Amino acid sequence: MDLLFGFTRWTNKALMMVAGCLLVAMIVLACANIFLRLVWIPISGTFELMGYFGAVVTAFALGYTQMSKGHIAVDIVLKTFPQKGQRYIQITNHIICMGFFGIVSWRIARYAGTLWTTGEVTETLGIVYYPFVYCVALGCAVLALVFLADLARLFQPAREGKK
Amino acid sequence: MSMTIIGITGIIVLLMALFVLGMPVGFVMGIVGFCGFWYAVSFNAAITMVGTDVWNTFSKYGLTVIPLFIFLGYLAFNSGIAERLYAAAYKWVGHWRGGLAIATIGADELFAAICGSNTATAATMGTVALPQMKKYNYDDRLSSGTVVTGGTLGTVMPPSVVMIIIGIQTEQSIIKLFLGGILPAILLGLLFVLTIVFLCWIHPEFGPAGPKTGMKEKIFALTGVIEALTIFVLVIGGLYTGLFTPTEAGAVGVFFALVVILVTGRITWKGFFNSIKETLKISSMVFFLVTGAIIFGRFLAITRLPYMVADYAASLPISPYLVLAVILVIYLVGGCFIDSLGFLVLTIPIFFPVGLALGFDPIWYAIILTMVTTLGAITPPVGVNIYVVKALAPDIELGTIFKSISYFLAACILAIVIIIAFPDIVTVIPNMVR
Repeated sequence: MDLLFGFTRWTNKALMMVAGCLLVAMIVLACANIFLRLVWIPISGTFELMGYFGAVVTAFALGYTQMSKGHIAVDIVLKTFPQKGQRYIQITNHIICMGFFGIVSWRIARYAGTLWTTGEVTETLGIVYYPFVYCVALGCAVLALVFLADLARLFQPAREGKK
Repeated sequence: MSMTIIGITGIIVLLMALFVLGMPVGFVMGIVGFCGFWYAVSFNAAITMVGTDVWNTFSKYGLTVIPLFIFLGYLAFNSGIAERLYAAAYKWVGHWRGGLAIATIGADELFAAICGSNTATAATMGTVALPQMKKYNYDDRLSSGTVVTGGTLGTVMPPSVVMIIIGIQTEQSIIKLFLGGILPAILLGLLFVLTIVFLCWIHPEFGPAGPKTGMKEKIFALTGVIEALTIFVLVIGGLYTGLFTPTEAGAVGVFFALVVILVTGRITWKGFFNSIKETLKISSMVFFLVTGAIIFGRFLAITRLPYMVADYAASLPISPYLVLAVILVIYLVGGCFIDSLGFLVLTIPIFFPVGLALGFDPIWYAIILTMVTTLGAITPPVGVNIYVVKALAPDIELGTIFKSISYFLAACILAIVIIIAFPDIVTVIPNMVR
């Protein structure tokens, strides 16, 4: 169990670091494009790259945001339920979310696979973009992993109690 | 089962999942939209739709504006720009009765011009202004109310994250939305100032006058406004003249803020990394809110429910303004129980087509929705600004903060009424842009 928690925490931290670097890259790219557009010619494919970088930046932060309960939720009704009821609801909640993001991740990964095999390239730069699609699939998969860890955490006190 | 019944069932399931399961708003919309689409069309269609929508939304160039403006707000938050703005406003009006509270609103207005979040504005100004107002024996009912409600300017004054989300969801021009928000934000700020003046006239003990400052000090203090004003002029000026796209304006704002911060050495590495971390968290939350709303919107679109509601509202033999009043009351009440941003994203697929069917100007209507959404941040029990101030000043009772908000709530509602009566306040600047 500790391995799962540690792996989830470590993976999310690593993804956040990559996302942070890409955020800075987005700023540099956008500013360089404006500057070069004013003095010479714009950087080709800036809009494409900004879109793909933005996708990776936010997808990689999905899991960490869930770990720090950063996604907006309405818990005023949930809090009125007894502890046991809250626990069952949270179990249901985590299973549904884990299943949903698992499906989303699998679907996006399948799409990325199709792009890879067909050799699909971007309109302006003419580069393959399936790696960015895989990154978004990875972000969703890691979010599903965070829900799995949260689910495991809900069972942990009962297991320790038995010991 | 008819499509209408499927649509209504979807909304009921969504609200139940939202309240009973306590699931994040964006996830609920995505999951219910997926299940509804599956039921109404097929599993294969639903699964393809979800995968495509997540990738398409996340990789949309237009959405990259969100992390950049959030980052700009956090840099401003962590860099001490707010302290200098407050000091400038304080030097000019601090010696008036209620002057520190007026200075807070003035600094809020300027800080909001570079920060697009009401929570960040309330947190920043609360950190700076609450200790000062306590020092000069300001009544908690005035000081806490000023900080909580002053934060709403962060949403109405461009750049605003709420406006960006409305613009993306409704396919309206973000530039026009930004420009449309300028005069309403100034009007709102003026009404807050009038509220403070009125309160201090009735209860002089609420805001005792501070010490006077000389003209030389006042002039020198204006240097504190320069950097915020430059960022605002650069961002909004660039958008107005068509020099930048909104995303580029955000990047330029961040770049300029970083240069100022690095040159003046007013941010630590910890503050910088914290800004990045918070930006990533909020951006991913907002991205999935928008994605969830798009997935849910697809489901509603195949049920044709939004169009039916819009047609029904338009065919009612009553004034469109009465329908608008009902919508605004729903936002006001809904904002009390659901986070204002979440409620906005949730309801736009239904209420925006209604507004268009009633013949309202989309920019004007979006600004009205922005303003009423901000009220959700200051109304109990889930008003986030209230808890920000409570966290900053634990000795102020929650009851006192609630009471203090009631004074300013009237000003917020009056501002909305004035803008409904005089739509030009919103439309005059955007109409200048071709």
